[in-house]
This record gives sequence, structure tokens and C-alpha cells, in this order.
Amino acid sequence: SSERFIQIPNVSPPEKPKIIKCRSPEKETFTCWWKPGSNGGRPTNYTFLYSKEGEQQVHECPDYRSGGPNSCYFDKKHTSFWTVYNITVRATNEVGSNVSDPHYVDVTYIVQPDPPVNISLELKKPINRKKYLVLTWSPPPLADVRSGWLTLEYELQIKPEEGEEWEVRVLQVFARWCFLINLSCNFKFFLHADYAYARCVSLNNSGFLLEFRVKEMAVWIT
Amino acid sequence: CPNESGTCQVPLGELFERAVRLSHYIHFLSSEMFNEFDERYSQGRDFITKAVNGCHTSSLTTPEDKEQTQQIHHGDLLNLIVGVLRSWNDPLIHLASEVQRIKEAPATILWKATEIEEQNKRLLEGMEKIIGRIHSGETGNEVYSQWEDLPSLQLDDEDSRLFAFYKLLHCLRRDSHKIDNYLKVLRCRLIHDSNC
Repeated sequence: SSERFIQIPNVSPPEKPKIIKCRSPEKETFTCWWKPGSNGGRPTNYTFLYSKEGEQQVHECPDYRSGGPNSCYFDKKHTSFWTVYNITVRATNEVGSNVSDPHYVDVTYIVQPDPPVNISLELKKPINRKKYLVLTWSPPPLADVRSGWLTLEYELQIKPEEGEEWEVRVLQVFARWCFLINLSCNFKFFLHADYAYARCVSLNNSGFLLEFRVKEMAVWIT
Repeated sequence: CPNESGTCQVPLGELFERAVRLSHYIHFLSSEMFNEFDERYSQGRDFITKAVNGCHTSSLTTPEDKEQTQQIHHGDLLNLIVGVLRSWNDPLIHLASEVQRIKEAPATILWKATEIEEQNKRLLEGMEKIIGRIHSGETGNEVYSQWEDLPSLQLDDEDSRLFAFYKLLHCLRRDSHKIDNYLKVLRCRLIHDSNC
């Protein structure tokens, strides 16, 4: 038996890139990211192309840098709402090129705000009345909630330290970022900002976990 | 309660609160209805590609981002909202009746279509009230977009008919969000001095 060697040139066109995600943190700009496939053994260039609903022209990505590697950032000038963007990414090396599957995006539905900031919890001890906690926070810094363009909802999750289940309260906060909690137990708090219109919002890393122990409160547990 | 003329009037701020509650609710229902339909009937049908550019209200020019929305005069924005709402009167009536003929349509979709039709009318009344108050009695012009897609909701071919529903629900979700968004901006601008 003789072995035969076939020489396969280790150069081929790049694989299809895959558009993985688009996100708008403040409902004014957005960024899309793609995952490159194999580069076919050669340096590969990526070209991000899009067209907007109601327009014929195809444009190239306005900013490849601001969103990090393999991304395209759309500033305010390039961001429209209630419009479908048809997006593709083309990978090209010296042997050939390959285009991703098209991705359709309406920026309205990819809004995913940053988490709220400055979360604090304070124990109040009024004279002659029950003690209570005051939870305060600020909206994510990028979010312009004053103009009404972006409306945030907050979800507060509370559970007793030993409890299994989080109690969920959706807060329709409009003007004041403050929430009073009657204390009856040791609690863990979890707060995140959510966007009412987003269909699938990942909650990973978008909230704060706050532990609060009030030992003396234990007497209230019934 | 009585004002100078001795009649009882709901404050403008309260009218806006009611309108925003309604628009928020209508958008919530429209989104749910679209999602339910999408999950159930769109698999492998590539509807979204074909639905682009298809909304009957796309002839109404509306602001496309925050800056444009802030620059437009509040009276013009109110008239645009009413224009979009009126453009949905007719299709919503037909949606509520034709949706019953979709094979195995879940009861929740049927219910939502009827509910949206009713709430849309209520919101339109409320908006006319708000406009009347702001323009002291003068009502907005009668601009709205005609919907001519009824035959497509009644097609015999199931794929084509389902696509017609998909397109209508996609546009309804979009327009109801638009209206809700404009109303929330107007509420902050007119009632809270741009400091919500």
C-alpha cells in the first residue's frame, strides 16, 4: 500500500460571517456586531453594508471603530426609528469573498438600556414609628428620560435572605427615583432598568445585587 | 373644579395621562399580538423580507428620531398622531372580523384585535379633546392614509393571506409604538416643561 499525497492549497475564500447582535443603549444610536468565520488562511477584510426601508441606496458602515472589533456604530445622524435596516457583512480575502445572511433590524426593538446607577439603601428610624428602608437610584447616565423620548421601567426584585423566590415589582417611575420598603425581614435586592418595548432583554449583568442586613429587624419576623 | 366659564373641565395634564395610558396599552396589545402571530405562523416563511416598505401609513411623513420629534411644533405633532390613528380606523375594523377566519387562530389574538379596535377609537376621541383644548376648539385637518388591503386579507391562498395579516400586524405594532412615543414626548414637553 502506498500513500499518496495530494497537495491542498491551504488558502480558500473566507467563511460566511454571522451578524450576532444589535443593541441601542439609549434609543438614539446603535451598534451591530458580527462574528467572522474562518479567514481561509489569508488576511480578510470585512465590509458592513446596509440599506434602509424606503430607500434604494446601499450604504457602508459609517463607523467601524467606536463599537470595538467586528462592529459597526451608527451615530444619531445615521439612526432612524420605525424603519427596517437590512444589514449584511461581506468577508473578502485574496481568493474570494462570502456574504453573511441578511439581518433585519428595527432600532425600536433593540433598545436595551444600561443598568441604573448610584443605587443606595438607607435605613430610616423615625421616632415613634416603624423603621423602614429607602432605596434610591439614578437612571443610566446615557438615557435621556427628561424629554420623554425614552421611558424606563424599573424592576425591583426582593427576597428574604433565606427565601427561594424573588418577589418582583415593576415600578412605573416617572419623576422620583425612590422607593420605600417596609421592613419585615432581611432582604436581598436586585434592581435593573428594563425597556418596556424590548422583546427579549437579557438581564445578565444589567442589574445590581444589593444585600442589606438589619439584624435588629429580626424581631419583626412573625 | 369649575373654571372661569363655570363648567367642569379635566385638567390638560390629566387628559395627557389618560392618553398615554391608552397608547401604552394599545402598543402593548399590538406587540403581543404580533409576537403571538409571528411565533405561530411565520416559521420558515420569510415574511419580514417581504413586509419591508409595506405599511399603508408610510405616506404620512413623521419624525424619525429624537431631534426631529423635538423640533416639530406640538400642534403639528398632535395632528400627525390623529392622522395615524384615523388611518387605522378602517383596517382595525376589518382586522377584528377577518382574523376570525384564520385557521386555528388562538383566542387571545381574536380578543386583542377587538380590544385594540375599541381602544383606538377611544384614544382618537381623547386626542381630539386634547387638540380642541390646545387650539381652543379648532380641530386638526383631516389628513389620513387610506387602507386598500382588505382583499389581501381574504385571499384563498393561505400563505398569501397569512402574509397579509403579518404585514398588517407588523405595521400596527410600529404605528402604535410611534404614537405612544410621540405622546410621551408631548406630555413631557407640554405638561412637565421638558423635565420629566
